[in-house]
Amino acid sequence: MSDVTFTFEGHPVAARKGQTVGAALAAAGQLALREARTGGARGIFCGMGVCQECLVTVDGMPNRRACLEPARDGIHVRRQAFPGEPPGASRGTPPIGFADLAVERADVVVIGGGAGGLAAAVAARGCGLDVLLLDERSTAGGQYFKQPAAALREPALDRQQADGAALRTRADSAGVRVLDGAEVVTAIDAGSVLATRAGRAFIARGRALVVATGAYERGVPLPGWTLPGVMTTGALQTLWRSYRALPGRRILIAGNGPLNLQVACESIDAGASVVAVAEAAPLASGERLGALTRMALADPALAAKGGGYLARLRRQSRLRLGVVCRRIEPAPAGGLRVEIGPAAGGPGESHDVDIVALGYGFQPSNELLRALGCAHDWDERAGLLRTRRDASCETTVAGVFAVGDCCGLGGAPAALAEGTIAGVALARALGGAVTAALAQEADRAARELARHRRFQAALWEAFAAPRLGLSLAAADTVVCRCEDVGKAELLAAAADGDPAIGDVKRRTRCGMGRCQGRYCGPALAEHLAAQGDRPLDERAFFAPRGPVKPVTIADLVGGGER
Amino acid sequence: MREVDVLVVGGGIVGMAAALDLARDGRAVAIVDDGRHSGTTANAGSLHVQMQSRFIRLYPDLAPNVERSLPLYVAGAARWRELAAELGADMEIKQSGGLMVAEDEAQFSFLAAKCARERALGLDVHMLDRAELSRIAPYLGEAVFGAELCREEGKLSPLKANEAVRRALDALGVLRLGETRVGTVARDGVGILATLEGRSAGTLRTGKVMLAAGSGTGALAAALGVRIPTEAEPLHMNITEATTPLIGHLVQHAERMITLKQLGAGQVVIGGGWPARFTGADAFPTVDPASMIGNLSLAQHIVPRLGALRVIRTWAGVNTTADGQCILGPLPGWPEVFAAVPGDAGYTLGPLVGRMAAAILSGREPGHDVSRFGVERFAAA
Ligand SMILES: Cc1cc2nc3c(=O)[nH]c(=O)nc-3n(C[C@H](O)[C@@H](O)[C@H](O)COP(=O)(O)OP(=O)(O)OC[C@H]3O[C@@H](n4cnc5c(N)ncnc54)[C@H](O)[C@@H]3O)c2cc1C
Ligand SMILES: Cc1cc2nc3c(=O)[nH]c(=O)nc-3n(C[C@H](O)[C@H](O)[C@H](O)COP(=O)(O)OP(=O)(O)OC[C@H]3O[C@@H](n4cnc5c(N)ncnc54)[C@H](O)[C@@H]3O)c2cc1C
Ligand code: FES
Repeated sequence: MSDVTFTFEGHPVAARKGQTVGAALAAAGQLALREARTGGARGIFCGMGVCQECLVTVDGMPNRRACLEPARDGIHVRRQAFPGEPPGASRGTPPIGFADLAVERADVVVIGGGAGGLAAAVAARGCGLDVLLLDERSTAGGQYFKQPAAALREPALDRQQADGAALRTRADSAGVRVLDGAEVVTAIDAGSVLATRAGRAFIARGRALVVATGAYERGVPLPGWTLPGVMTTGALQTLWRSYRALPGRRILIAGNGPLNLQVACESIDAGASVVAVAEAAPLASGERLGALTRMALADPALAAKGGGYLARLRRQSRLRLGVVCRRIEPAPAGGLRVEIGPAAGGPGESHDVDIVALGYGFQPSNELLRALGCAHDWDERAGLLRTRRDASCETTVAGVFAVGDCCGLGGAPAALAEGTIAGVALARALGGAVTAALAQEADRAARELARHRRFQAALWEAFAAPRLGLSLAAADTVVCRCEDVGKAELLAAAADGDPAIGDVKRRTRCGMGRCQGRYCGPALAEHLAAQGDRPLDERAFFAPRGPVKPVTIADLVGGGER
Repeated sequence: MREVDVLVVGGGIVGMAAALDLARDGRAVAIVDDGRHSGTTANAGSLHVQMQSRFIRLYPDLAPNVERSLPLYVAGAARWRELAAELGADMEIKQSGGLMVAEDEAQFSFLAAKCARERALGLDVHMLDRAELSRIAPYLGEAVFGAELCREEGKLSPLKANEAVRRALDALGVLRLGETRVGTVARDGVGILATLEGRSAGTLRTGKVMLAAGSGTGALAAALGVRIPTEAEPLHMNITEATTPLIGHLVQHAERMITLKQLGAGQVVIGGGWPARFTGADAFPTVDPASMIGNLSLAQHIVPRLGALRVIRTWAGVNTTADGQCILGPLPGWPEVFAAVPGDAGYTLGPLVGRMAAAILSGREPGHDVSRFGVERFAAA
């Protein structure tokens, strides 16, 4: 069924239209992509454009993210040696200034087209406002709805995808201006952002901003976590749900939280053998029964769904509770050898697999919010910064609303409800026409949000597990994947005097790489806070500076192609 | 209460370099730094020697001051090399030359005139036409017409250099109090009493004080009734992802604000004085997207291959400006309090200025003519 052929290291690879280069390569068993600074190969890790581990050279252009790069007929893809070399023949473009950039105006600019952003856009548009929605992916929908790439022309896999498609259709038919493939580079002020699309930079300027940028998976460094074939649970899910690619046949999933259980079941449905599922929480213990009951009371359907996953995995896989992934190494016969066992030590078990998926919770993508100066508070239970908001989801910066997982994790139903609440609230503030029906919908959303927050609170009580931080890493385990900074080096720098996080960054280069410290930063911040008795406030983390994601200079200043 | 011989306010390159010499002399030294507005942790690591056109354009009336200081920059770069050798540290110092590029004949003649004046002051500078330029700097784009080459210019890694000096200070037992602000300094009959705020809050008694507080120097001096007109100038920086060796020189422009160079680790650092801004109640230096666009656009115009690289980070740092020249010496009426602020391109001058400041505090010859650098000049103004 291949309708696209490209070459990888000179050999033909068949792909389906709509797949990414990374997905096609993963389906073909090619997991090793970029070369790391200190040697060794890396491959798809986050699957969503954040980690920068999947870099390849495409037709001579270095640093293309395979997980996002569309598989096009006839392109030549190569593994990228470190550090990657720009093409020799290039022409510059005449110097431009900020004033030369195109400006897209709207009443409201929504950043992120997941559950929260789409819901906010639909609500604000329903009040008659002109809404511009920017989403970096080729097909908006976000991590929960995970839409199949349009060109694949695949039917929705299930209710979850069908709901996403319906919401997107609602946004389109209501007249929300959705710009797919528009990547926000940085915030300019409380009403505008700088973005790129198809090789051009532009300014999106509104009277209000809705930030709905979602979350990415928390990095938990452990021996072997940089090996090709080790990826986040979300990456595994995206490969299948968005691109219908299975990166391997034998899969082990380890982590904490219900997403791992869902993806394990989905992988089985996709035809994979899920060798084991290691959930860090003991789940079944007596004192968690109360939490399980409260979950069921708050949302019987969702609770039943979770119970169903557990029951299936008991039958169709090896479900291990209170157990973590302790180490991964290349297996003698190819693939990966994984050891799972209690975090505290003691006997474990070992499995040989093709793919290890790790899902130890999330970190909010709050870079824009922090850069805009919105206040945040540390949530000790969840181990992350939460954006401070009022009941209408407005942040401490007037005109900047934030919804969904970028504010701290809340789950898709909460994101949907928050989107509706914010969309209606900002329409009120901007003088939009809030109909009685919409006002009612916002009230309903507020009740739904309260209910879902009760569910989430009970859920995470049931799934409570100690945060692993740097505890699983060995002395020589890489903590900063971009700059290859190992745990021993990092801890030595952290223990030398009384450094702030920026000092440790400058000393070790930890957090200076392409992913901008997203995986190493939170663990380092918590370590320094514990060691130096510092508060975990905004200052405890790396400073928020643009660009949010690496962006080619040509795209920014107008010389970009495509 | 802590007691030291010398309190150095400000842990930038000047304060650290001064503390190094003072500690080597056997004095008990404390460095107190609030870690908020440091040029030293944010700077681009260019070793500047030739006059920066940015400065001439921004402050034309001060250009003669800078011109008179030029020989000091040659000595400043030399002091960096010496310091690296003393500390046995790899600071990635490379004096592979600095190119100031011209895009047309008019700019070329501006540079040629500048070149002649600098040469008269003893600098190793030459004009290069397009053909010569293509030979030594093939990475430059077609837009470049010619350039002035200054052989003494180059670069170093501030990350490595700062770290090496810090380690040396720690080895000498210098007390370093970070994230801590010096609130006031006052005489208490025995010596000087300083109040500290922040992470190491408290008081500290000292015999002498060195104000190496960069843009904060003016406020500290003002509290003592002395005028030192330091201004905080927030500046924008960009850095690309690493790439194979591409750019061998420090590159600047005859007319536009830009410096660019490649670090040892492969990243290209692009700056040159584009403005950042202060935001929030605590005046947090914040990057300005307009500077990012303008600065990067210019960069790929001069070095087209940069267009294909991705910028991975921007940051804002605080530079200190006064009148373009160093500020060195005791404060009028306060013989135990000394100022130590470098002139423009103060990282290049840092170790030398720190050394001169330590010498003056200790009653030794600073080794260079510092007669124009005294604090008194501002009272007169
Ligand atoms: C030669 C050189 C190369 C560099 N290369 C890189 C690189 O490759 N990649 C890279 O990422 N950086 C790089 N840097 C930048 C580096 O992070 C710092 O050295 C630089 O000083 C400025 O960084 P910063 O202001 O972003 O962060 P910091 O120096 O850490 O300063 C920011 C301060 O603000 C605090 N803060 C955090 N959040 C907030 C908030 N919301 N509001 C207020 N304060 C807050 C932080 O705790 C910190 O104290 C480089 C720097 C140099 C000098
Ligand atoms: C973005 C940028 C790029 C630059 N690039 C270059 C370059 O490439 N080459 C070059 O030669 N120069 C460069 N400069 C200039 C150079 O960085 C500075 O001139 C130099 O670092 C100044 O060193 P300093 O020690 O005098 O002051 P700083 O490094 O500014 O240190 C002063 C310190 O004192 C602290 N302080 C102030 N008041 C108090 C107080 N009351 N209590 C406690 N602490 C206090 C400040 O917070 C600061 O940490 C650049 C500057 C910037 C901002
Ligand atoms: S896998 Fe492509 S960026 Fe993370």
